[in-house]
Amino acid sequence: MSTLRARHLVIDIPDRGDGTPLDLDIAPGEVWGVLGPNGAGKTTLLHTLAGLRPPRRGEVLLDDRPLSGLRRRTIARQIAVVFQERQDGFPATVLETALIGRHPFLSALQMETAEDVDLARRSLAEMELEGYEARAVSTLSGGERQRLAVATALAQQPRIWLADEPSNHLDLRHQVAVMRLLRDQAVRGCSVFLCLHDINLAARWCDRILLLYPDGAACWGDTGRMLVPSALEQLYGQKLIATQLDGAPVFVPSVADTRAAAAVPGAGNPSQPHDG
Amino acid sequence: MGIADRRNAVRVAGTPTLLVGVLLLLGVVGVQAEDRFCVTDDRQREVCLSQPAERIIALSPGVTELLFAAGAGDRISGAVRYSDYPEAANDLPRVGNHTRVDMETVLAMEPDLIVAWVSGNPAEQLERLEQLGLTVYYSEVRDFEDVAASIRRFGRLAGTSAEAEQAAAGFTADISRLEQTYGDRDPVRLFYQIWDDPLMTINDTHLISQIIGLCGGENVFGDLDRMVPRLDRESVLAARPEAIAAGGMGEGNESWLEPWKQFDQLPATGRGNLFFVPPSTIQRPTPRVIEGAEILCEHLEAARGRR
Amino acid sequence: MAGAEQPLSAGAAAQVAVPGLARVWPSLLVLSVLSVLTLLLALSIGSVHVPLSGLLALFGSNADPLHQTLVIELRLPRALAAFGTGGLLAVAGALMQVLLRNPLADPYVLGLSGGAAVGALGAMLLGLGALAVSGSAFVGALVSTVLVFGLAHGTGSWTPTRLLLTGVVVAAGWGAVITFMLVIGPTERLPGMLYWLMGDLAYARSPWPALSMLALACLVLAPLGRSLNVLARGPLQAATLGVAVRPLEWTVFLAASLLTSVAVITAGTIGFVGLVVPHMLRLVFGADQRLILPASALAGGSLLVLADIGARTLMAPEQLPVGVITALLGVPTFLYLLYRSR
Repeated sequence: MSTLRARHLVIDIPDRGDGTPLDLDIAPGEVWGVLGPNGAGKTTLLHTLAGLRPPRRGEVLLDDRPLSGLRRRTIARQIAVVFQERQDGFPATVLETALIGRHPFLSALQMETAEDVDLARRSLAEMELEGYEARAVSTLSGGERQRLAVATALAQQPRIWLADEPSNHLDLRHQVAVMRLLRDQAVRGCSVFLCLHDINLAARWCDRILLLYPDGAACWGDTGRMLVPSALEQLYGQKLIATQLDGAPVFVPSVADTRAAAAVPGAGNPSQPHDG
Repeated sequence: MGIADRRNAVRVAGTPTLLVGVLLLLGVVGVQAEDRFCVTDDRQREVCLSQPAERIIALSPGVTELLFAAGAGDRISGAVRYSDYPEAANDLPRVGNHTRVDMETVLAMEPDLIVAWVSGNPAEQLERLEQLGLTVYYSEVRDFEDVAASIRRFGRLAGTSAEAEQAAAGFTADISRLEQTYGDRDPVRLFYQIWDDPLMTINDTHLISQIIGLCGGENVFGDLDRMVPRLDRESVLAARPEAIAAGGMGEGNESWLEPWKQFDQLPATGRGNLFFVPPSTIQRPTPRVIEGAEILCEHLEAARGRR
Repeated sequence: MAGAEQPLSAGAAAQVAVPGLARVWPSLLVLSVLSVLTLLLALSIGSVHVPLSGLLALFGSNADPLHQTLVIELRLPRALAAFGTGGLLAVAGALMQVLLRNPLADPYVLGLSGGAAVGALGAMLLGLGALAVSGSAFVGALVSTVLVFGLAHGTGSWTPTRLLLTGVVVAAGWGAVITFMLVIGPTERLPGMLYWLMGDLAYARSPWPALSMLALACLVLAPLGRSLNVLARGPLQAATLGVAVRPLEWTVFLAASLLTSVAVITAGTIGFVGLVVPHMLRLVFGADQRLILPASALAGGSLLVLADIGARTLMAPEQLPVGVITALLGVPTFLYLLYRSR
C-alpha cells in the first residue's frame, strides 16, 4: 500500500504568497477532501500532488521517494487522476477510453489482453456504463463522461486516487455511486484525495479535510474537527446554517445578508490541528 | 534523397539500357560513326543522330516555328499547345503543354529527336526523357545569331540543310538590311510593354530589346536586372519614354495602349507615339521577328518624324 | 452488482468493436490488397492504351518494347512516387491530428508543406546540393510546426478556430515567400518551379526516398501507437497514464515535419491528403492509432495513386497537377468537418 506525502509543500500560484506550507500524509484507507472557494488552488494542489506541476517549494513523496525523480510510468502504476476538465474532442469509443487505463501496465508493442478488456468492461459496469462500450465519447452526456473518467481510473487499479470534483455533472444517484466507490476503494487500502465544492459530500464521505484559503493559508485535520461553521463561513465568505441529518452534519447557505459573514465573531482561523 | 542522387535511383526502377538498344535498332544498324549528324545545342552539349530525324517532337511553339523554317516541318510528329504557326502547325498531334509534357504520348510517338525549351520545359521531365534513351536538343534562343544558328542546326539534324541554309541566310540578310537602314538613326527612347496586368517589360538581354536596338531605339528599362521586370505605371511616367509599344491579348487588340492616353504630359502620349505591335510577330524568337521588327522600325521612324 | 450482469454484458459486448487486437491485421491486409490493386490500375491506365494482353506479356520474351518502357519506366516509378508521397502526407496528417486533438489538422492546411517548400526552394535558389535542399526543407517544415503549435497554443488551449487561423496565416505567409522567390528566381527556371505551389507528380524523380521514409516511419511509429492513443486525450491525462508527454510530442513534431518535407521534395505541395485519409479511416476503423497510422500509409498511398491516374488521364494529353485533384476532394471534406466541429 502506498502513501502520498506532501513535505513543506507550497503550490505555485502566480502572484500569490506562500501561505501555509502543507505537510500531509495521505495514508492508505483514508479519504481526504479539499474544500475552498473558487480560485483557492484546489486543482493546482491536486495537479502538484500528481506530479503534473512543479511545486514552488517543498516536495511530494510517493512511498518516501520524491515524485519528481520517478518516471511517469512508475507513478501511473500507483496514482490515478480524475480531472475536472477533460479534452475528449478526439474521436474514441467508451471501451477504448476505459482501456487506456491499462496503458501503464502494457509494454510498447503489447496489445491489451483479454483480462485488460475484461477489467475495462467491469469498470464500466461499476459505473453503470455497460452497453455503452461502442458509443462514441462525443455522444455522451456530461454525467456519463464523468462516470467514464472514473471508470477509466478504476481500470488503472491505482493505489492512490486523486480526483478533482468527482461528483461534477452527476445526478444524485450517481453522486452517491461515485462517492461510495471511492469510499470502498479506501476500505480496500487505497489512499483517496478529493477536491470538493460540496461541503455536505465532504462531511458525509471524508475522513480528513483540508481547508484551502484564497490567500494560501490552509488548515487540515479530522473531518469532525474541521467542519465547524465558523471556519467554513470564513472560507467561503458566506453565512451558513448547520444542522444534523442522518447522523452527519449538513450545511446550507443562509440567505441572510452575506456581507455579515466577514464580520462573524470568532471567524478567525481555527487553531491548526496537525495530523498524525 | 536529394535531387542529384535521384537520377541514379531511378535507374533501379527499370531498364533504360534496354530501351537505348531498342531505339538504336530502329533502322540505325550499320551506320558508321563518321556518318553521324552532330550539332552543339544551346546548353553546349553535343547532340548526334545516326540518320536524319524523321519523328521530331517540338516542346515549344517557337521551336515548332524554327523547325518549319528549317524545312523540317513535315518531320514533326508532335507539338505542344499554342503551336499555331505556320498554319500547318495547328494540325500537329499534341503532347500536352510546355509546362507539363505528356510523357506517355511522347514515348508512344517513338521520336528520334526531341527539341526542348530550356527556360520553358520542366527540367525533371527532360532528364527523364534522356534517361529513357531519347535524344534531346536543348533550345534557348536569345539573339539573332541564335535564330540563324538554330535553323541551320535543325536543318542538319533533319537532313534539310539546303533549305535551312537558305532560310538562315535570308534571316541574317534581313536583319542586316534593317540594321543598316535604321541602326544609326537618332535614338528613340522606347518603353516596350509585353504584359498589361501586371505591367511587364523586358531588359536588354531579351530579344525584343535587341530588335529595339536594331531599329535605332533605346529600351528605357534596358538596364534592369531581371529579364522580365514587373513595373508600376509611375516608374514608366518617371522614365518619360518618347514612344510606347505594346502587344496585346490577340493580334489586333490595342486595348493595352488605352491607359497611357490619359497622361498628356508623357512625351509618348503627347506626340501620339503609342504603337501596337502584333505580339506573335515579335515575342517568339523565330524568323518571324523580321515582321515585327519591320513594324517596330517603321513606328520608331514615325516617332522621329513627330519631333 | 457486476457479477449478475456479467454474462449478459459480455455476450452483448462481444459484438462491440474491440480496439486494436484482432482487427489490426485483417484490416491492414485488406488495405494492402487495395493498395496493390490501385498500383496495378495505375500501371494499366495512361494516355497511351496498353491492352491487358500487353500488360501480361510485359515480362515475357516477346514483350512490346514501347509497352515495357511506358509501364516500367514511366508508370511504375510515378505510381510508386505517388504512393510514397500520399502515404507520407496521410501519416503526417494523422500524427498532427492526434497531437492537436483535432481532425482538421493537415500538413498543407497548417503550413508545414509551405515551410518545406520555402526551405527547399531557398536552398535550390542558393545553388546548394541535394542534401542541403532536403535538410532545408525539413527545417522549413519544422519551423512551421513550431510556429503553428506554439502560437496556436499560447496560454490557452488549442481551439479549432485559433489553430486554423494560425495555420492558415502561416500557410499564406509561406505562399507569399514562395511567390517572392519565384519572382526573384532566374526566369529560365520558373516553369519548373511552379509545382512548389501546386503539387505535381510529373516532376517526381525517384520514388525511393518517399517509399523508404514511409517504411521507416511505420517501423518507428509502431511502438508509439498506444501512447498516441493516450496523448489524444490531452497531455495531462496522458502524463497521468505514464506517457512521457514532452518527448513524445517532440517525436511527433519531428516525424510530421520530416514526413512532410520528404513528400514536398518528391512532388511539391499536395494538399488535403493528410486531412481526408485519416478522417475516412476513422469512420471505418475507429480511432486506434495502432491501426490508423499504418492504415493511413496504405490508404494515403492508394488515394494519391488514384488521384494521379486522374491527373494523367482526365484531360490527356493535357496534364493536370495532382494537387488540383486532391484539393477538389479535400476542400469539401474540410468544410464538412469544420461545419460539424461547431
